[in-house]
Amino acid sequence: MSLSRSPSPHPGGGWSSPGLTPGSGNSTPRGYSPSPASLAPSGISWAAAKAKSDEVRGYPSFSTRNSGFFSRQKHRISARLPSFRGQQPGYVDKDHHGRAHHRAHGRGPFGIQLRRGRSRFFLGLFLLWIGYLCFWSTIVHLYRRSPLGGGRKFVIILSSNVEGGVMEWKGAREWAIERNSIWNKKQYAKKWGYELEVANMLAKKRYSHEWRENWEKGDVIREAMRKYPQAEWFWWLDLHTWIMEYDTSLQSHIFNHLDDRVYRDINEYNPLNITHPLPEFYLDDLGRALEGDEDPDSLNMLLTQDCTGFNLGSFFLRRSVWTDRLLDSWWDPVMYEQMHMIWEHKEQDAFEYIYQSQPWVRSSVGFLPQRSINSFPPGACGVENNPRVHYQEKDRDMVVNMAGCMFGRDCWTEIHDFRELSDKLNRGLWAQLLDSWRGSYKSAAHADSEVGQ
Amino acid sequence: MHFALPPRRSPHPLPGARSSRLPLHRRKQLKTIALIAFAVLSILYLLSHFYSWSSTIKAPAATAGVVIVTLLDHERFSESYISKVVANREDYAKRHGYTNFFASVSDYEEAFGDSPRSWAKVPAVRHAMALNPTSKYFFHLSPHALIMNPAQSLKSHLLDRSRLESVILKDVPVVPPDSIIRTFSHQKEKDVDLILTQDVEDLNPGSFILKNGDFARYFLDLWFDPLFRNYNFAKAETHGLDHIMQWHPTVLAHTALVPQRYLNAFSKDSTGPSPDGSYKDGDFIIRFPACEESETGDCPELEAYYKLWQKKNKSERDA
Repeated sequence: MSLSRSPSPHPGGGWSSPGLTPGSGNSTPRGYSPSPASLAPSGISWAAAKAKSDEVRGYPSFSTRNSGFFSRQKHRISARLPSFRGQQPGYVDKDHHGRAHHRAHGRGPFGIQLRRGRSRFFLGLFLLWIGYLCFWSTIVHLYRRSPLGGGRKFVIILSSNVEGGVMEWKGAREWAIERNSIWNKKQYAKKWGYELEVANMLAKKRYSHEWRENWEKGDVIREAMRKYPQAEWFWWLDLHTWIMEYDTSLQSHIFNHLDDRVYRDINEYNPLNITHPLPEFYLDDLGRALEGDEDPDSLNMLLTQDCTGFNLGSFFLRRSVWTDRLLDSWWDPVMYEQMHMIWEHKEQDAFEYIYQSQPWVRSSVGFLPQRSINSFPPGACGVENNPRVHYQEKDRDMVVNMAGCMFGRDCWTEIHDFRELSDKLNRGLWAQLLDSWRGSYKSAAHADSEVGQ
Repeated sequence: MHFALPPRRSPHPLPGARSSRLPLHRRKQLKTIALIAFAVLSILYLLSHFYSWSSTIKAPAATAGVVIVTLLDHERFSESYISKVVANREDYAKRHGYTNFFASVSDYEEAFGDSPRSWAKVPAVRHAMALNPTSKYFFHLSPHALIMNPAQSLKSHLLDRSRLESVILKDVPVVPPDSIIRTFSHQKEKDVDLILTQDVEDLNPGSFILKNGDFARYFLDLWFDPLFRNYNFAKAETHGLDHIMQWHPTVLAHTALVPQRYLNAFSKDSTGPSPDGSYKDGDFIIRFPACEESETGDCPELEAYYKLWQKKNKSERDA
């Protein structure tokens, strides 16, 4: 035979000649398949066949001594080591040559591997697609709950079971309102990974008349702050509210743009005619500032004003020292004793009062345009449509608050109607297509019948 | 044929092995790309940092300095009486580099309205804070008091951490003698924003030290609330203070009560000091509560101690 085996390596580590040598299969390098042309004329067909069949492992199987992975690697490593140290130019040449040789051969193992690779690639794609279908929502949900998504920084506090039927009989409508309202917040909180705290506002002795009547808001918020130590913002929602837009996150709606969504200068909309900024000469610059310290990080309370003043049907509080102080000073027995017959709206009036009389509060209070979190239905704050106050369908307002619906209006009908509207506005693309098709069909049929007449 | 030795080394690089060789030049590219990205990111970070820094107006951080707030009532007291009090404060401020803020009750008449005149101390302290935003401590001292041990600095006397923590009254009734609300038993210096004393039946606002900051604003504004001022507390702002301390834990948690003689020792003849609250030689301050009620515009009781203080000062200067 011409050459029984490949030449020995040079002491420096290179090869005396490239592996082109037409030789037996045993010189077949790993990962390189000898094409028929490169076979020795003597045609050691068994070796070639064996080599071919071993392509998967890529190593001649007859070299029993090197069958183990480690011994193979050891060989290779030890054979290569000098070349790294020696920096012999010849070595690199050989390497290049080897690669060129590869290409020259065209259909090597790569041909097969490529085909394999392609099918694997498609298999992988398919698996990815399946995974996307099955797990994508879970992944999104996990992300939104994680510190990166920031969902846990928000807690929705929903007041429910107001009075708990102690004062008035709780009928089927009241139960339906409660079930629906809770379901609505649950959907929204689940979608964005927020926490939902359904507060039971059952009438209790300690909140009864002459003894902090209806003043549980502060206590409930404090409790929620203890219960969710990771949360930063707490969103109070009255029971008679409806979140219309599930696809709008609080972050994108408000909290990523605090500085341009919020105004601190109450003169922008001031139904109570509160004097702002405070004129007292003994106050510091912060106390007399028009816009507080203009730092969005110092905002600790976000609320809206309706046509009669502050509205606490939907507002945000941030966990902070400032908030602790507010919750602490919000209810005071000496103030309560003097004002409880005058403060009809309890803590809402009390907060209005504190905002006016205690300068430390102002710089941390930010106002949102009413319709951003607290749109009113027609009937609250006047019947005719007022774009500052009332829900606007074309703008897709986020939250509707049926404020005052228990006084002469029908809470259940209002909630039901807004629920239907929200479902209609947020139906899928397919449903929209179907609807428009149905609509055009109907109008066509209508036209037909008219023609028929 | 013999296969004496196994093949040593493949001349063709492995698909897997290539990865270690191929990126030799790429690795350099990657390195430069990474470096550039890092540089750009850090510059962006710095820029954003600077931008946010310069765009917000924050109250300057109070670092050091003490302002002594003395509220003078020129309508009720003679100028000679007032000048003695002023001289006493000015001497003390000069010794330790403190600032004096002499306020006049009449300036705040509009603020406290129909409420008793003693409420004026609250806006006066707020005013001092507005005028000295970089000062750290505001020491309100009644005009009917003299600093008898002027060598003592406030820092070594009370404000020093270990000193303060050793004298705080822990787990005592907030309002003596038997309020069910008691001071915290684990009060630390870093939580203290207000240092205060009690007399025999109330918290005594005649002499207190308030640390500049959000708490001070909150505390003073809450205290000065119109609904407290109009409530007809028998002792006006003193009872208002008692009330706030017992009902609002966010205030109490930042308050340190210290024994009366550290800040507010009553003169021998006055009524109502706490047990061991009467002045003894060497005490920091002497208060003359009776002088507040003086009808003549002068107060002989203070006069006597003023002379004592003068003599002591003189002998110190001579020595």
